[in-house]
Amino acid sequence: MLETMTTAIESLRDKDVSFADIRHESHASTQINVTNGIIRRFGRATKSGTVARALVGECWGMSSTSESLSSNVCKNLVSEAVRSAKANARFSRKSLDLSDVQPIEKTVWQKCQLDPAKVSTDEKLELVMSLDKAQKIDDRIVNTNSVYNDSKIVFQLVNTVGSKLEWDELRITSVVQSVAREGNRMQFDYGVKGGSAGYELLKSINPEEFGGNCAKGAIELLSAEKPPSGSMTVISDGDISGLIAHEVCGHASEADEVVKKRSFLTDMVGVQVGTDQVTLVDDGTLEGVSGRIPFDSEGTPSSRTIIIKNGVYEGYLHTLETASLMGVLPTGNGRSQDYNRRVFARMTNTFFDSGDWKNEEIISETKEGLYVLKTLSGMEDVVGGGVQCSALKGYIIKNGELTQLVRSMTLAGKVLDILKTVDAVGDTLHFSGGGACGKGEEDFISVSHGGPHMRAEMVVGGG
Amino acid sequence: MNIADIADKILSVSEKSGATQAEVYAIRVRTASTYIDDNIPKIGGSMIETGFGLKYIIGKKIGFSSSTLAQEKPQDLVERAISLARVNNEDEKFVSLPEPKKVSDSADRFHDSSTASADSTILMEKAMEVVQGASCDNVTVPNGSLRTSSATFHIRNSLGVDVGSKGTIAFGFFTAKSEDNGSVGEGVQRCWSREINSIDYHGLGQMLKEQALSMLKAKPFKEKWEDSVAVLAPSEGTEMVYNLIGFAVSGENVNKRSSPWSDKMGEKVASENITVIDNGLSERGLLSSIVDDEGVPTQKTTILENGILRSYIFDSYNANQLELQSTGNGIRRTARELAGRFSSPAVCAGTTMEVRPGTKSVDDIIGEIKQGIYVEHFAWPIVDAMSGNFSNEIRNARIIENGELGNPIKYALWVGNLYESIKGSVLVANNPEIHDKRVMPTIAFPNTEIVGQ
Repeated sequence: MLETMTTAIESLRDKDVSFADIRHESHASTQINVTNGIIRRFGRATKSGTVARALVGECWGMSSTSESLSSNVCKNLVSEAVRSAKANARFSRKSLDLSDVQPIEKTVWQKCQLDPAKVSTDEKLELVMSLDKAQKIDDRIVNTNSVYNDSKIVFQLVNTVGSKLEWDELRITSVVQSVAREGNRMQFDYGVKGGSAGYELLKSINPEEFGGNCAKGAIELLSAEKPPSGSMTVISDGDISGLIAHEVCGHASEADEVVKKRSFLTDMVGVQVGTDQVTLVDDGTLEGVSGRIPFDSEGTPSSRTIIIKNGVYEGYLHTLETASLMGVLPTGNGRSQDYNRRVFARMTNTFFDSGDWKNEEIISETKEGLYVLKTLSGMEDVVGGGVQCSALKGYIIKNGELTQLVRSMTLAGKVLDILKTVDAVGDTLHFSGGGACGKGEEDFISVSHGGPHMRAEMVVGGG
Repeated sequence: MNIADIADKILSVSEKSGATQAEVYAIRVRTASTYIDDNIPKIGGSMIETGFGLKYIIGKKIGFSSSTLAQEKPQDLVERAISLARVNNEDEKFVSLPEPKKVSDSADRFHDSSTASADSTILMEKAMEVVQGASCDNVTVPNGSLRTSSATFHIRNSLGVDVGSKGTIAFGFFTAKSEDNGSVGEGVQRCWSREINSIDYHGLGQMLKEQALSMLKAKPFKEKWEDSVAVLAPSEGTEMVYNLIGFAVSGENVNKRSSPWSDKMGEKVASENITVIDNGLSERGLLSSIVDDEGVPTQKTTILENGILRSYIFDSYNANQLELQSTGNGIRRTARELAGRFSSPAVCAGTTMEVRPGTKSVDDIIGEIKQGIYVEHFAWPIVDAMSGNFSNEIRNARIIENGELGNPIKYALWVGNLYESIKGSVLVANNPEIHDKRVMPTIAFPNTEIVGQ
C-alpha cells in the first residue's frame, strides 16, 4: 500500500504545489451496549479510506474516498486535491514554506498486554453483562446502561518530502450509566474507564465496585439539592480541572487560532497568566491515555508541549503550517477526525500538572466553598476566554468539611481571572477515561484531559 | 455496481447462510466543502464514501457488522455478523424487522440537484459572499465552513423491504471577530437548507457583522434576576427543546424507563401554546426522506398538542415491544454528518421536529416581557434531559426591561429547569427557522434565572 501511495506522490510534478501528502486509514471497532440486562447492540465495524492533500500558496485542497486503494485512485485523489487548492489559491496572500519539514521513515506498532482482537467475545460479553448486573442495587434504579468499545486504526502516510510512515492507535473504553427515579425526580450517574491500551485495562475493573458505585451515585443524587449560584471558592476534582484545561486554555492555545489572532492567548508568550502553582501541558506521548498518538495526521511525531509553566505562558500547539508561520518546530498537533475531515491544530492529552497539596488538605483548609465533581460537558471560548464547564455534582464545603450534596451546575468566569486565583493544587493527577473533542462544533478526535484537585474563585450557576 | 445491487448480494449471502432475518443498509455520500480561515477560503475538499451495515439475526440473537468494503468482500461482512450473532445472548424484546409497506412518493422528492452537484469551487464563492457581507474595518471572519452533502441510501431486508431515498443538505458555520481599542466581540451564525441556492449568504454575513459589532458594546451582567423570561433565538432554543422533548418522547427511553414522560401519555406536560410534530416529510427538513433508515415510510406524528402528550416516536424494535407500529423513526443519518452512518444500526430518534409557530412577532413577544433576556448565542445550549436542569453561559444577548430590548450583555448564566419552564406561560413567535433537525421559531421561556458573573 505504501508503495502505491509513494508512486502517486512521487509522480506529482506541478510547480505550483509546494507540499502534498496521502494518508490511508483502516478503522476497526467492536461495540457492545447492554441496557437493562439486554444486549442492545453487538457490532463490529470496519471502514477504510484514503485522503490526499495539496498545498498551493497558502491554500489547501483535499480529496478523499472509501474506494479500494489503487494507483489510479491515488492519482485521482492527488489531482482533485491540486485542483481544489489551485481554485482557492486565487485568494492566497502568501506562500507557506514547508521546506523545513524533515522526511521520516518509520513504523510504530502499539504494544499492549492483551490484544482485544484476541480476547474472546464471550469474555467481553460477560464483562458488560456483569457491569450491568452490578448496577441493580436498588428498586429506584430504573435503567442501567453498560458499554464496551475497542478500536484500532492503522495509518499509512507518505508526503512530498519523502516521509513513509505506518503506525496504529489502539483504544479501549468501558462506560456505565445508571438512572435512578423516585416519584418525579430522575437523576443519573456514570463511570468511565478507558485509554490507549489493550484489554488489560478493562481486566482491572471490579464490576461490582464500578457498576455499584455508579448506581449508588445516581440514588444519592435523588436527594441532592440545587447548588448555590454566584461567585465563590471552588475546588475542582481532577476531571473538572482537566475540562477547564482542555476547553479554555487548550483550545485557545491551538496555534491556528493564534496565527490569525482569534485567540485571547495571542501574543501571550512570556506573560504571567496565572499564579505560580499553574502549569499546563499537552502531551501526545503519554502512554495509556486516550490522546496518545505516535504521529499526528501530518506525520509529525507527537511531543510534550509546556503551555503554561509556573503561571507564565510558554507556547502553542502546532501543525506544520502554523509552525512554519511562527518560525518554530511543529509539535505533532495537526490532527483530523478521519480521512473525510480536514487537518488542523488539535490537542492530545491536555492537563494541569500536579502541585504539592494533599486533596484532603485543600478541602479541610477551605472555610466556605463548593467541591465540584465529574464533568458533563464543556465549550471553548477562544475569543473571549470565558469558561463553560458543566459538572454532574458537588458538595457544599463549610468550615473545611463536605456537607450537602448538590446537583448539576455550570462553572463560569474569565479564565485569566480564574488562573490568577489558583491558590492550591493537589499532588495527584487524574486523567479522563477517554473522550472525543470537537472544535467549532464538529471534527471529533480522541483526546484526554486531566489534572489535580485545584482551588480557585469561579462563578457557579446551578440548574 | 450500484449500492442497491450490493445490498441485494449481501442479503442473498446472509439468507443462504441461515439467517432467520437480515437487513442491509447501504449508503453513498458525496460531500463538497470549503473552509474559511482568516477571511480567505483556506481548504477546498471533496469526499465520496460508500458503506454497508448488516443486521444478521438467528432467532432472537442479533449481530451487526459494517464496512466500506474497500478491503473486504460482502462474504466477509456476512461472516463477521454471523460470528457475533452466534455468541450473542437472545434479545427477548426483539420481535421482527419491519415488514414492507407501500411507499407512494418518489425517492428523489427531497433531493436538490444543484446542491448535489456543487463542488468546492462553488462553495468557495458562496462562502466568500458571507465574508464580504461580514467584513468591515474592525470585523474579520476568522473561521467558517460551508458544506454540501448528497446521500443515496437503500434498505433491503429478508421480509421484502426493498426501498431507498435520496436527499441533500447544505450546512454552514461562520464566526466573526470584532475589535475596538482592545475590546473584542464575536458573532456566530449557522445556515441549514436542503437547497444550496436558497441561502442568503451575503445577508448571513451582514448578520454576523452586526452580532460581532453589537458585542463590542456588551457590558458585564452583575445582577441576579430570579423569575425571569428568556427569549431564545431559534438556533439556541431548538437545540434545547429538541434535546428535552426528543429524549422524553423517544420510544427507546420510554421502554427503558429513562424518560420522565414514560407514564404521562394524554397528560398536560407543557403550555397550551406548545404543539410539536415529528415530521419525516417536512418540506424544509434536512433528514426528510420517503422512508426512514429501516425502510419504514416516514410520517407526520403529533407529539404534543397544545401541551398535551399525544404520542411517542418509535423505530420498529421499540414499537414492536408495545405492539404498536413504527412511526418511521428508525434513524441512522444526522443532519450535520452523513459520512460513516452505516457503521451503526438504526436507533429511535427524531426526523424533523417542528414546533407550531404562534401568531406574534418576536417584537410583540418582547413587548410583553417585564424583565428578561433575549439570547442569540450560548456557549452551547445544553439541558439534562432526564431532570430538565440547565445552566448555560450566555455569549450574545440583550436584556429586556419593561417590554424594551436594552443593552447587550456578557458574562451571565441562564439557569433553570426546562420541564418546569415549558409548563409556564411560554410564548411562541411566528418566525420558524430550520436548524439541524428542527424547524422552530423564537420561543420565550418563563420562570428561569439569569445570574451575573
